[in-house]
Amino acid sequence: MLTIRSLLRPSRIVDAHCDIPCGVYDPEQARIEAESCLRIIEKHDASDDKLFRARCIHVKEERAELVKHHLDVLWHDYFKPEHLEKYPDLHDTFWKATKQASKVKQSLDATAAKDLLGMIDTIDEMWKATGGPEKTRVNGRPS
Amino acid sequence: MARGRSLSGPLFLLLGLAAGITVGRRWLDVVEVRGGSMAPFLLPGDRLLVEAHSYESRRPRPGELVLAADPRTPGRELIKRVASIDDAASAAELRGDAPDSSTDSREFGAIPLSAIRWRAVFRYWPPQRAGLLGPGH
Repeated sequence: MLTIRSLLRPSRIVDAHCDIPCGVYDPEQARIEAESCLRIIEKHDASDDKLFRARCIHVKEERAELVKHHLDVLWHDYFKPEHLEKYPDLHDTFWKATKQASKVKQSLDATAAKDLLGMIDTIDEMWKATGGPEKTRVNGRPS
Repeated sequence: MARGRSLSGPLFLLLGLAAGITVGRRWLDVVEVRGGSMAPFLLPGDRLLVEAHSYESRRPRPGELVLAADPRTPGRELIKRVASIDDAASAAELRGDAPDSSTDSREFGAIPLSAIRWRAVFRYWPPQRAGLLGPGH
């Protein structure tokens, strides 16, 4: 039976939402992890120690996963619709870069890691051109 | 409207509310607020009457409290205040009343007007803060 009480029971929740965006973004975070991947691959290749090589693979996979995470945060939190107007290939650039990070995670290909650095640099240029260093770093990006 | 009337006002509204909701949750519904981005005007746990009739015939206006799907999280519905309307783009800038603890159009951009159907009009719970939710409080 319908009662006033049941009618007044909320049918859904609405969010007065906040994800506490700290507003600090910098592609450098992704780049440092990607540089780690490259160096680890080089160290892996230079070593004959089985255990060390296994550790290299393990740590490199963790770092590559972090690259993906940092790129994702930039993609959906920093970049906004107006940036897409300026860079129509923004989505494609991120899609390719995160795919490249997956490739680095899966392989021991130093060239793939270098290509990933190049893609992050492209994103870095977009971040700089949209005022990222001034807007999203405390006192700007350190030089 | 019923604002300022004596006891019969809230009672009338409550009965009207019940009748309206019986007619169908297509135009009238009740929702509960979660989160603090609209504080102090709306607080977590507030229960509101929302209606979907006004925006069939007109655009939202600055100051109104509206529901909109979160453009970043499927299935989540946000309640925010309309800060401004961009007529050319047919989009609304939404803001929380508590800017320091609100994720809104500053983060996710303007919301297309087509995505805004519901307007919050009345708070019925808690009783001591019950009343019409006029824009631009």
